Amino acid sequence: MRVYVNEKPVDLVPGMQVKHALISAGRLEEIAAGRKVYDAWGHELGLDGVLTDGMKISVR
Amino acid sequence: MSQTRREVLLASCVSSFKIAHMKHLRIVLVCLLWWVILAPWGYAGQVDLKILYVNDFHGFAEPYQPTGSASPLGGIAYLAGAVDRARGKQPSLLLSAGDMIQGNAWANLFRGKSTIDVMNAMKFNAMVVGNHEFDFGPQVLKKRMAQARFPILGANVKGLPGLKPYVIKNLSGVRIAIIGVVTQETPVATHPRNVAGLTFSTPESAVQRCLGELKRRADIILVLSHCGYQADRELAARVPAIDVIVGGHSHTKILQPEQVGRTIIVQAWEHAKALGVLTLRIEDKKIVGFEGSLEEISPAIGPPNRRVQEIVDRYDLQTKALLNRAVGEAAVDLEGQHVRERETNLGNFVADIMRETAGAEVALINGGAIRTGIPRGRITVKSIYDALPFDNYLVAISLTGTQLKQALEHGVSRLEEPSGSFPQVSGLTFTYSRKAPAGSRVKDLTVGGRPWEPGKEYVVATNDYLVAGGDGYTAFGEALKSASDYSSVGGALTSSKLAYNDPGTWLRELVINAIKARKTIAPQVEGRIKAED
Repeated sequence: MRVYVNEKPVDLVPGMQVKHALISAGRLEEIAAGRKVYDAWGHELGLDGVLTDGMKISVR
Repeated sequence: MSQTRREVLLASCVSSFKIAHMKHLRIVLVCLLWWVILAPWGYAGQVDLKILYVNDFHGFAEPYQPTGSASPLGGIAYLAGAVDRARGKQPSLLLSAGDMIQGNAWANLFRGKSTIDVMNAMKFNAMVVGNHEFDFGPQVLKKRMAQARFPILGANVKGLPGLKPYVIKNLSGVRIAIIGVVTQETPVATHPRNVAGLTFSTPESAVQRCLGELKRRADIILVLSHCGYQADRELAARVPAIDVIVGGHSHTKILQPEQVGRTIIVQAWEHAKALGVLTLRIEDKKIVGFEGSLEEISPAIGPPNRRVQEIVDRYDLQTKALLNRAVGEAAVDLEGQHVRERETNLGNFVADIMRETAGAEVALINGGAIRTGIPRGRITVKSIYDALPFDNYLVAISLTGTQLKQALEHGVSRLEEPSGSFPQVSGLTFTYSRKAPAGSRVKDLTVGGRPWEPGKEYVVATNDYLVAGGDGYTAFGEALKSASDYSSVGGALTSSKLAYNDPGTWLRELVINAIKARKTIAPQVEGRIKAED
């Protein structure tokens, strides 16, 4: 499946989670620095949250 | 007194006034007096109902400090204390949107029994199965369902007796139908043996079927959904008869209730770090208003529920005892110190188990996945947890020979100092040259004892971290990207590139089970990875 992290497409195995998308996009370290992950509606997501195909998330 | 009766009474008063004029003022005044007396009951058809909810607990019983957080959050006993205070004297329901029994060692070591004990003590009213409720297999799930003193729902799951499609709860005369649905991707989100014989229909079709059965039997329709927020929005748009969706799966922190059409959607983050509170204002058995919020849970919010804390503490003690239990014997030292710079016997052992479990031709993991060695002698559960501390799971991807070599080249690309990306392997051998430039170091590659073929497809077992591109490995992601055959099988997205995927079993649990089966292990360094200079 393909999801988008700050508009960057990343390809993952179906069922993978927010943390996998951040690893793939090279942005996991930003969470340790205090940034958070949000979905397209502006809700914060847990790192273990399951992603679905086409989902758009952002780190900020 | 109902709204209709009140209106009739008033109409009667007005009518009397017109007919008898001032002469019958006394009668009118009596009527008005009655109306005033009954005014508080003028809202007799109105009541506030509280829906308390959690999701994706995953056995995080103790407070912990999440990445990036300044202080500890969560703690199921503190959440239970918050539930006690929120319940107050108002009519309320306590619901779970799934993924409660699997995840943390506190839950896993007891196959979810600890979680259900806590949920019983907290007097949950209903729960939907999450995909991770299937991770211990159907027999364990049946035991958990028998242990639970609340209904466990799954309207779109066929083949598991005891799983109810819905339940109807009566709160202050309001009949609330609670329908449970779980993600249709469950069959590819756990090991196939865990869902053998079960079928998962679409949540939408299951909800529509339940709605047909619930006609005139329920006033409010609430869906407990373990499908994720995006899917919940789509469900609400397609089935407007749903009043409320209490969701899970995507671990979404919905601070204020959302609405799609007239459907209210809520979700309470993860790991008992928040309690969801939704108050529904009901008039004439219909929702006329609502308000909601998430209460963040931490040890700072107030006293824990003592009974729940006792249960947590009891299982903590048992956890410590279980971690010190021996699972087998090591006839040699299991070398975990140099996994970032050379082949080791512990790396070989772990990679062998992965290859065998996945039925793959090759296994490749990052040395950084192994954090310490295990001395010769008794192997405890804790020593395996220390050696493999990460919540990694087994995935197998079909790679071309070229992609496999690319992955190995990456593994030996940073040799200046020990690197977490250095590979530990099974099913293959290779030589590398330190003097050659990065990207051209791998030589004499064999797979299964035969020379490697660039165009051949090899099933490669690895962990989820590397598939996601961890430690800079891109070969697995490239393979997934090149797959043009993603398809929906029974609603679940899959691909021929994906040969094995078991997110419900941590790698360390596979290793523990393998040691238990073999009793004594003595893995050796066999020359799988050789430096030629």
